[in-house]
Amino acid sequence: MTTTHAQSPKAGPGRRGVLAASGALALAGTGLLTGCGGDTRDGGDGDRFRAAFTSGGSQETLDPHVAPNFVDQARAKALYDTLGTYADDMSVRERLAESWESDASGTRWRIRLRAARFHDGSPVTARDVLYSYRRAADPSTGSPSQVLLSAIDFGASRADGDRSLVLVLKAPNFEFPTVFAGPGTEIVPDGTTDFRKPVGSGPFTFVSFTPGGTARYRRWADHWDGAPHIAELEIVPADEESARLNALLSGQVHYGADMAGASVERLKGNSGTRLLTAERATAQQLLLRTGRAPFSDPRLIRAVQLGIDRAALVRIALAGHGRAGDDLFGMGLRGYPDDLEPRERDVDRARALVKEAGAEGLRVTVETSSVDAAWEPAADLMARQLREVGLRLSVNTRASSTYFSEIKTKGVAAFNTTSTLPVSDFLQQRVRGGAARNQTQYASRTFDALLDRARTSRDEKERLGLLARAQKLARDESGLLVWAFSDANDAIASSVRGLRAAPPNSHDWARFDRVRLS
Amino acid sequence: MRGYVLRRCLLALAQCLVVLVAVFAVGSFLPGDTADVLRGELGTPEQVEALRARLGLDEPALTRFGHWLAHLLTGDLGHSLTTGLPVGDDLGRRVGVTLLLGLPALLLVTVLAPVVGTLSGLREGSLLDRALNTAAVVLHAVPEFVLGLLLVASVSLAAGLLPATAVGMDGAALLAQPAVLVLPVIVLTARHLCDLARQIRAAVAVQRHGAVAGHLRLLGMRERTVVLRHVLPGALGPAAQQYARCVEGLLGGAVLVEAVFGFRGLGDGFVEAVQNRDLPQVQTYALLFSATAVLVNLIGDLVAHRLAPRREVTG
Repeated sequence: MTTTHAQSPKAGPGRRGVLAASGALALAGTGLLTGCGGDTRDGGDGDRFRAAFTSGGSQETLDPHVAPNFVDQARAKALYDTLGTYADDMSVRERLAESWESDASGTRWRIRLRAARFHDGSPVTARDVLYSYRRAADPSTGSPSQVLLSAIDFGASRADGDRSLVLVLKAPNFEFPTVFAGPGTEIVPDGTTDFRKPVGSGPFTFVSFTPGGTARYRRWADHWDGAPHIAELEIVPADEESARLNALLSGQVHYGADMAGASVERLKGNSGTRLLTAERATAQQLLLRTGRAPFSDPRLIRAVQLGIDRAALVRIALAGHGRAGDDLFGMGLRGYPDDLEPRERDVDRARALVKEAGAEGLRVTVETSSVDAAWEPAADLMARQLREVGLRLSVNTRASSTYFSEIKTKGVAAFNTTSTLPVSDFLQQRVRGGAARNQTQYASRTFDALLDRARTSRDEKERLGLLARAQKLARDESGLLVWAFSDANDAIASSVRGLRAAPPNSHDWARFDRVRLS
Repeated sequence: MRGYVLRRCLLALAQCLVVLVAVFAVGSFLPGDTADVLRGELGTPEQVEALRARLGLDEPALTRFGHWLAHLLTGDLGHSLTTGLPVGDDLGRRVGVTLLLGLPALLLVTVLAPVVGTLSGLREGSLLDRALNTAAVVLHAVPEFVLGLLLVASVSLAAGLLPATAVGMDGAALLAQPAVLVLPVIVLTARHLCDLARQIRAAVAVQRHGAVAGHLRLLGMRERTVVLRHVLPGALGPAAQQYARCVEGLLGGAVLVEAVFGFRGLGDGFVEAVQNRDLPQVQTYALLFSATAVLVNLIGDLVAHRLAPRREVTG
């Protein structure tokens, strides 16, 4: 599963391996022979830690505000800091910011910075924060958090001393602090435009980098959060999952990102490595375009919701590595309603709805791609399940590197995935009427009004209550069906200490400054 | 002979041009373009349009191809749409890695295939002969990338004899640790080596049992002389053409081998260029690959023509 990115699920799908289709077969082959695996074989590595990721190819940059893939986030984490950071449930914790508070309206936010320095010795100041946010809010920069940051009125925001600033928003928002931990919001020194020799305030300093190639970093002893335990960090590209697996098993790397399917089974049986499984980290979605026929008819959306067999999808398309979804993003995250009735399959009702809508035997095409290994089997299975309710689903497989761009405008149904991110951000960016990434074209005044009321409610409990109401509405109407949550897997050599399973985008994911090698 | 050479050279040029046109056409018909890939899901339609205009992708495909071809004639390969850097930069960085794989592979094929092929042709049914046949059959049944993974699993992971991948290594690191190259070179070479050796073997056997060889023996020529002066030249002529096919095969194999072992060579670069819909880059790779293939085929045909003129081949 080459899923990805923070706000966008585009991971290295562009870089999905050439062997993707036949990978499982081949891995099954390697599994026949029991390997010994092991730690750094030559022992000469000292405490240089190597981590293998799918790369973003030759267009990669160390500009932290352009962070489309997992590997970009791992590199950004090494070099830079953000004001806040996400806990596993996507609630926000302080990082470079020591504290934040808003005025009674939720429009003016005062942020106090802790004492921290950039790698060149200069202090991290409020001016650096303003510069970084202004840069990431510029649409031409391409930050995944651009939409959230564009809520700031930079003309009215100002530094208030070196370590304090006031951000003024264009509209009240008590959920605003989620942006402090957003990907692509790293703090760079004021005026930085060139990232060939980047300077940050993160736990590692820059040594060398080639786009699409190896990135090397050195431990920075003066980091405010304590120096890393390892002397050197190397982030190396390995686009093919089998190459990451073999490099890990043979001790050439200590960390292999993004393992799926047969690799996971292989790693489970290996004593020299350990799997880091973040359960339910990826929301598997089926997007039904409510703005176009046939799904402009809510009865057909309901029919699909009732017609698919989620348990079977998890068992077969996800090979059991996940759990059924209830058509709502964010299971286990802060803000997810905990009193949802699970979606049960009801073929009779679904068939009746199809009949009522006069859509018996209707042909519907669903867009899919090899971006995520679960999609194609899921699409085939759904086609069989929906045939029972009277809908004829046909599958259109698109090229992986242009998939997300194409489904923005084409087709009426499409597969999608999203990694963990704050529930309120997800709703704002993907479900709100008219939002750029609202692909189902759901537009409900009631839903939007509930979101607005939530944003302007100061009391957290009330806010979450409003979000829950909005979500229950969207779950039935929005056409964004979360049919399952799949696990995200990274793997480490057994010599690695200090890393735990954590969902992508969260603080503890790829936290290489806490790593020790034994 | 001169007329033949001239004809073949012109044909070679035409072949390259046809490949370029075909690659450009196919590339243009792929869904999406570089602007889509770069902006992905994040971009608004306006941003994607703006980027498209900036990259010149809003011009008609034919115009772009014409520009590219015109620049090519002046020796300018153009700039990558993805990075904005000259296309040659990317190629230059990668070509060394691929040569490190390709040259040893080529050397192995060149030296071993004639030796193994001739020996088994002269001793039909011997152990060597049977081993060669078995190996060839097996290698045709196992795709290259599966062979690679099986070798890694047994030789590297289970036995711990050789490095499993080249992950994170550039050209210099590979030179410092050539053991990394052993498995990939074996994967790259194995099938072509067997194919070529079998072709030589068959030709040697045919020539050896042929009327001419029989006649020479009747004339009292020693067997050694018969083999060296008659059998081998007759057998190696067609082999030169098969040898040329090998080089093409090595280029194609590089794409898979580089992926399996994590090399960042030309194969990896070509895949990336296609995924990025980076047509100037794709075109340059296509030119490099097709020119190499056409050139070695040309040489192969010319050598075959020289060794056995009566076998002149068309096309």
